[in-house]
Amino acid sequence: MTEPLTNTIAMAERKVGRRRLPNELGIVLVLIGIALFFEAVGWGVRGQSFLGNPQRLLVMILQVSIVGLIAIGVTQVIITGGIDLSSGSVLAVSAMVAASLAQEPGYARAVFPALTGLPFVIPLLCGLVIGGIAGVINGSLIAITAIPPFIATLGMMVTARSVAQLYTRGQPISMLADNYTWIGSGAVPVFIFLAVAVIFHVALRYTRYGKFTYAIGANAQAARVSGINVRRHIMLVYTIAGTLSGLAGLVTSARAASGQASMGTGYELDAIAAAVIGGVSLAGGAGRISGTVIGTLILGVMTSGFTFVGIDAYVQGIVKGVIIVAAVVIDQYRQSRRRKA
Amino acid sequence: MRVKTRVIGMACAAALGCGSAHATTIGASIPHFDENFLTLIVSAMKVEAQKTGTTVEFEDAAGDTDRQLSQVQNFVSQHVDAIVVNAVDSSATGKMTEAATAAHIPIVYVNRGPDAATLPPGVSFVSSDEHVSGRLQGEALARLLGGKGNVVIMEGELSDHATRLRTEGVEKVVAAHPDMKVIAVQPAEYSRSKAIDLMNNWLSTGDHIDAVAANNDEMAIGAILALQAAHLDPKSVVVAGVDATPDGLAEMAKGRLAVTVFQDAKSQGRVAVDTALGMARGEAVPSHVDVPFELVKPDNMKDYVGR
Repeated sequence: MTEPLTNTIAMAERKVGRRRLPNELGIVLVLIGIALFFEAVGWGVRGQSFLGNPQRLLVMILQVSIVGLIAIGVTQVIITGGIDLSSGSVLAVSAMVAASLAQEPGYARAVFPALTGLPFVIPLLCGLVIGGIAGVINGSLIAITAIPPFIATLGMMVTARSVAQLYTRGQPISMLADNYTWIGSGAVPVFIFLAVAVIFHVALRYTRYGKFTYAIGANAQAARVSGINVRRHIMLVYTIAGTLSGLAGLVTSARAASGQASMGTGYELDAIAAAVIGGVSLAGGAGRISGTVIGTLILGVMTSGFTFVGIDAYVQGIVKGVIIVAAVVIDQYRQSRRRKA
Repeated sequence: MRVKTRVIGMACAAALGCGSAHATTIGASIPHFDENFLTLIVSAMKVEAQKTGTTVEFEDAAGDTDRQLSQVQNFVSQHVDAIVVNAVDSSATGKMTEAATAAHIPIVYVNRGPDAATLPPGVSFVSSDEHVSGRLQGEALARLLGGKGNVVIMEGELSDHATRLRTEGVEKVVAAHPDMKVIAVQPAEYSRSKAIDLMNNWLSTGDHIDAVAANNDEMAIGAILALQAAHLDPKSVVVAGVDATPDGLAEMAKGRLAVTVFQDAKSQGRVAVDTALGMARGEAVPSHVDVPFELVKPDNMKDYVGR
């Protein structure tokens, strides 16, 4: 009798496996659809190919790499059933602190004149640690005081932005050393984004870390009963999200060769949008990094597409909003039909 | 115009020299504490306040018109001697003016304020005429391009008055030159990072760009960074900004930023405090005080370093 049972399980698993692949495919089709739309309009308006231009393809990914890094962190947070609104502000703190430690040697008007020309790993580490600390605070607030993640991270969003402003009283930090700005140069941000995506895609799908994350999001009580240290795991997930925001801050400041307190404003919402477009459920327990990466690419394709076909700047936001919602509606409709079938 | 502001400044200093009975308090509402340009105004206001022995209470409106209005109402209820506002939105100044004038508290707008040509008594607007900044930038570009070429315009925030006027200023100059053409206009929201992305997108279209007219220096620097990353000689494209920030001047010293337009933030901040103090003492002040824009080129840039 045991053999038929394992057979059934194997069959069920295969079915699930088969169902999962097309789920991802749905959002890929949306991406391809949007790209083809701009391709078609592009030939009409500009008489050149939208996609057949390697430089533009790179630009499309490059401009969303920073939001993408944040989205990878926020995806994991959302899978646990939480949310992180603080990413953009944490990015700013990390950017400011790292930039202040990465100024050119001997720059007289440096924030810390005695600390210029440091080895570039110091600002990098400091930026990551700052992000991690913000994440630990978020995670502790949520895990220990049990306040809703929305409120905890909203508090961090406001506080961290203020810390970024206070750090130099709003003054921008410039004259960053070349060895630091390297991480924001050329296609480096794209490689960082894709490498981080691969790491966390694997971590979520194939490790105990991932299983715990999904289990908590699906049913925190059940996860606790089955022996998962839910508090510790939630803290870990928020710390990872914070660290990735810190990393995003490093890339942002390196790219602009400057640290500014207003950096990353609104990025948290773009990141959440990218995750949700990519099929991550705000209810928790479902979603994958690969989906988020595709969601991020959709944002990038839209930004480049708007400029390419010359859509009036005053209506771009309207079109973007409609496409975001439509993409999710189409995806959900497809999924529910599949479930019924 | 410059003389006029100086005179006011001196008049105030002289009046204060006579010694006032109690310390004057000014309430100030600023849209964003972290906007680079506004920090210059704020620090100039602080310097002037210290010099005149005035207490200035600063509030951050976080880009929210409602929040700014409640901050002004709070200042009114605290009976401050004068209010200084850098308006979040020029069209949302009516209620703030009303709240202040109803309580007979003088209100001075600085940098961004009401669009109206005439202001009620007790209201003054210290600013630089934004019609001029775009024109100066456009004329300099036309000169540098020899009156022909393709221009792209990077705009600031679409809800911002200065964005509209600076862009119009450039467009008018270009329209007056038959061989010049604006081939694209798009916002990068005054942000260096967004300007890098926008410039990358423009470059990928393969269109020939002769000049970039950016509504501020931050975006001009973004354009320069994008040109460098694409291994194009930034000097082959004429890049122009507005503000003459320290970073902008550093780029000009490296030969990458062709021109910028200096908006005298420090004078705006200083004159705003002086005007507010004058009004608090019941002196007559003009309803509009103009702090003029100045064109900055490599040959005169040294006058603007550190200003």
